[in-house]
Amino acid sequence: MSLGTLDRSTPPLFNQGPSALSKLIFFSALALFLMVADARFNVVRPIRLAIGTVLYPVQWLALKPVQAVAEGGRYLEELQLAQRKEAEARRALALQSERAGQADVLASENARLRALLELRQTTSTPGRAAEVLYDSADPYTRKVVIDQGVAQGVVAGSPVIDPSGVVGQVTLVQPFTSEVTLVIDRDQAIPVQNMRTGARSVAFGDANAHGGGLELRFMAANSDVQEGDLLATSGVDGVYPAGLPVARIERIERRADSGFARIYCQPLGDVNAARYVLVLTPVGGQGSAAAHPAAASASAAAAASAATTPKAAATVVPGAPAPSATTAAVAPAAAVAKRTPPARATRPANPVASPTPAVPAPSAPAARPRTPERRATP
Amino acid sequence: MIMRPGQQQLLLPVSPIFMWASLVMALLLAMLPLGRAAWMPDVLALVIVFWSVHQPMRVGMGAAFFFGLCMDVHQSALLGQHALSYTTLSFLAIMMHRRLTWYSVLLQAPQVLPLFLLSHVIELAIRMVGGGILPGWTMLVAPALEAALWPLASVLLLAPQRRTPDPDANRPL
Repeated sequence: MSLGTLDRSTPPLFNQGPSALSKLIFFSALALFLMVADARFNVVRPIRLAIGTVLYPVQWLALKPVQAVAEGGRYLEELQLAQRKEAEARRALALQSERAGQADVLASENARLRALLELRQTTSTPGRAAEVLYDSADPYTRKVVIDQGVAQGVVAGSPVIDPSGVVGQVTLVQPFTSEVTLVIDRDQAIPVQNMRTGARSVAFGDANAHGGGLELRFMAANSDVQEGDLLATSGVDGVYPAGLPVARIERIERRADSGFARIYCQPLGDVNAARYVLVLTPVGGQGSAAAHPAAASASAAAAASAATTPKAAATVVPGAPAPSATTAAVAPAAAVAKRTPPARATRPANPVASPTPAVPAPSAPAARPRTPERRATP
Repeated sequence: MIMRPGQQQLLLPVSPIFMWASLVMALLLAMLPLGRAAWMPDVLALVIVFWSVHQPMRVGMGAAFFFGLCMDVHQSALLGQHALSYTTLSFLAIMMHRRLTWYSVLLQAPQVLPLFLLSHVIELAIRMVGGGILPGWTMLVAPALEAALWPLASVLLLAPQRRTPDPDANRPL
């Protein structure tokens, strides 16, 4: 006992157990083992789930006061502000109902045309609403926690959207909550398609940007991108349904010393303040439950290598009838495992000389391009 | 019994229930969903260091490791990151506990500052090796705030031990 206390039991003078240094070495080694196992081999998930289950009541308790304060703040919100918000919501609803009416007509027309062309039918994606509980406090990543978990049927890899666009992807499912990695996280990659030109590429998270943004990598310096272009999910990854808005190109830097342009995008989904989100079922997981961890990032890397031109993108999938049909054809039934190897490993050593920047991981042989591609010269 | 310059009175023995309850309370405080702020002081680290200094036989590296794992799971950080940093904190606190209690509370605060700084440096180094982003310069504020909270923690957590051993009408507590 410390000398400041009057303890009633005699302190053990001679038998004090292992020394502090040996305990430190033991626990440090254990922590290092856990970190390596967590980051590289993905074997400590049961431990994480067990601790998460035990911690859930404490988390719930910690959440309540903060939620109460937020609710109280909203209760005291001005009437005028509430009325203005309602007017805005009604305007948005009117706009959307018009488009929804068109969408039904277009969907039926599209289905008939696809049947005429003998293309594969697109699948509809069921979703479930979820509430964002809190931002994960870890300042090194960009994640949020939502209130749906295994008990509600959420699977890892599910895309998460909000009314304005893609927010992120479920990377870890706890029994009653799930972690969503936002699209602005550094290790998060999302295959996108430029809605103006149709060119496919991959947007990587860029959390260091002001408020967080995305970066479109591996686009040739002379590629056809403009500021203000809309990027939507391309659907070639087999996880995200095609056509969800992701980001808008904000700034393009074309440098003389690099073969690639630096393209910065602003996410369309409200990644910093979304309260209610929609968790979609992954496209590849709808047919079969097979899930290959890390296959999605590998397929994303393959898409990056193939997407320098739309023409090259068609070579990704052997046997695909048309680029538009690759949506359902690739589908490596992928769920991005938590902490897949960071995407920066796919950065080419010499960007000018190497035309195939991303070497796909061996776990996704189906998405490997058949032939080495030429340098993309539009 | 030696009366040291930093302390005016002898302390009662600590109640283990209060000690563990304070640790769980600190875990609860650390779990408050206040958003992603790098400058947020880590209350749990503070309480762990406090009890490692004052009760090194009761709260040691094992408890620090366990609470670190809880923080890792809650923050969805790398599993073991906080565990390593808290274990190191606890070790250093146990190493310095005999020297530290000779000083007054206000003089203890600058001496625990390097501990908190080191724990944040450990976490930063781990995340940089693992491929994270730099959270910005505001993370330098966190150790300073933790050290600044040390006197408050000393007053609050030692309060139950400062009661008089024989309460009477003049000294009810």
